[in-house]
Amino acid sequence: MNYFGESLGTALSLILGLDGEVLRTVWTSLYVSTSAMSIASVLGIPLGLIIGIHRFRGRRLVLTGLNTLMALPTVVVGLVVYGLLSRQSPLGPLGLLFTPVAMMIGQIVLATPIVAHYTVSAACGADARILPTLRTLGAGPLESAWQMLREVRFVVLAGVIAGFGRIVAEVGVAMMLGGNIRGYTRTMTTAIALETGKGEFAFALALGLVLMSVALGINLLLNLLQQR
Amino acid sequence: MESLYSLQNIVCAYASKTVLTIDHLEVFSGRITCLTGVNGSGKSSLLELLGLLHPPVKGELCYRGKPLPRSGKALQQIRLEITLAHQTPYLLKGTVADNIRYPLKLRNLTQREQDRLICWSLQTVGLGGFEQRKSDQLSGGELRRVAIARALALKPRVLLLDEPMAGLDTAQSDVMESILTRLSAADLTVILSTHDPALPARLCADVVHLQEGQLAGRYPLPTTPETPLCPDRLKMQEA
Repeated sequence: MNYFGESLGTALSLILGLDGEVLRTVWTSLYVSTSAMSIASVLGIPLGLIIGIHRFRGRRLVLTGLNTLMALPTVVVGLVVYGLLSRQSPLGPLGLLFTPVAMMIGQIVLATPIVAHYTVSAACGADARILPTLRTLGAGPLESAWQMLREVRFVVLAGVIAGFGRIVAEVGVAMMLGGNIRGYTRTMTTAIALETGKGEFAFALALGLVLMSVALGINLLLNLLQQR
Repeated sequence: MESLYSLQNIVCAYASKTVLTIDHLEVFSGRITCLTGVNGSGKSSLLELLGLLHPPVKGELCYRGKPLPRSGKALQQIRLEITLAHQTPYLLKGTVADNIRYPLKLRNLTQREQDRLICWSLQTVGLGGFEQRKSDQLSGGELRRVAIARALALKPRVLLLDEPMAGLDTAQSDVMESILTRLSAADLTVILSTHDPALPARLCADVVHLQEGQLAGRYPLPTTPETPLCPDRLKMQEA
């Protein structure tokens, strides 16, 4: 207990003292995950709206595929993207492996199905009168889809938050595609794994506290937005 | 009298179930037309057909003498002339003013024109001063009147109302009826569905009576109170 208490004290002093190593790691995590989440939202929200609004042949199959993709293990995503970006693959010459971009690609693959799935649920669960009402008010297909999105924005927003929560806290993709390079691709989660292994429990705990604070902050933001 | 809608051999179906079969029907412009019939007789389906929300699976629907295009910009352009207020209308999240402003924005009206139309339409339905009220804080009657105000603000050529009186108390019904009477004086075609057999007479409206998805009667403007309007009214008088 004493060991844990001392480590917690050291962790707090590292955070409050704005330790450079901690700040760099936190920055890499947030920058990579926020960028990946933005792209995943741009891809996943329209995809979810299309699947949610339209009835087409094979829709059930697409939904099943989407549900399966939501449960993809991060290491499998890491493995597949690693294969695509490694030197021998067609994308190898781009030299993306072990860069923040590679981590973003992996995280986009992880987050897009989550955002799309939440958007599908939002569109399917939305009031059935929305689309006919919008059409009778003169809205075209694009305007209707945009307004529909505005009407169900809280559920979609919850999907974005859930997706961000998943990618900011994952280790597999960040480790396999980023390589855990200090000051470059080292994220909070890979650093926690590494520092714990090295016995630097206080440093790992400091990052863990920041990670939990990020999760708390995101949830508070969601609550605030929902109360508006 | 100009024919606004002309329906020829129309068949409408939802999920392979036929809900409406009309061999021939003309609806004239500048008049009030009441659709009557029991629940499930096809009134709402006919309104949705006339509101261009669901195309017929068979037959020809002409609007102002021309066959309607199935899709595309031409259809969208005609949709801007027609608006339907559902029986339980959906109001968008936000204020009453936001709701009326949304379709006006789609028509690229200036902010000033939008404000003027919002104010005018709310006053027309007796809800002046309701601009900043939240849409989820309205009573059933107010909600329906806001939906009508939203439709009126568009200055449509055709206003379709699905049972505008349903669920309203006497006072609210009177307000709604006076709105409809005022609308009939304006250059607007109103087509509404109703269960009230006396309403067409009070509004001096044409009657289209539906039964099991088929046209069961078409009655012109009554000249005397004794003129039968529809089988419902006949039954009531006999009783």
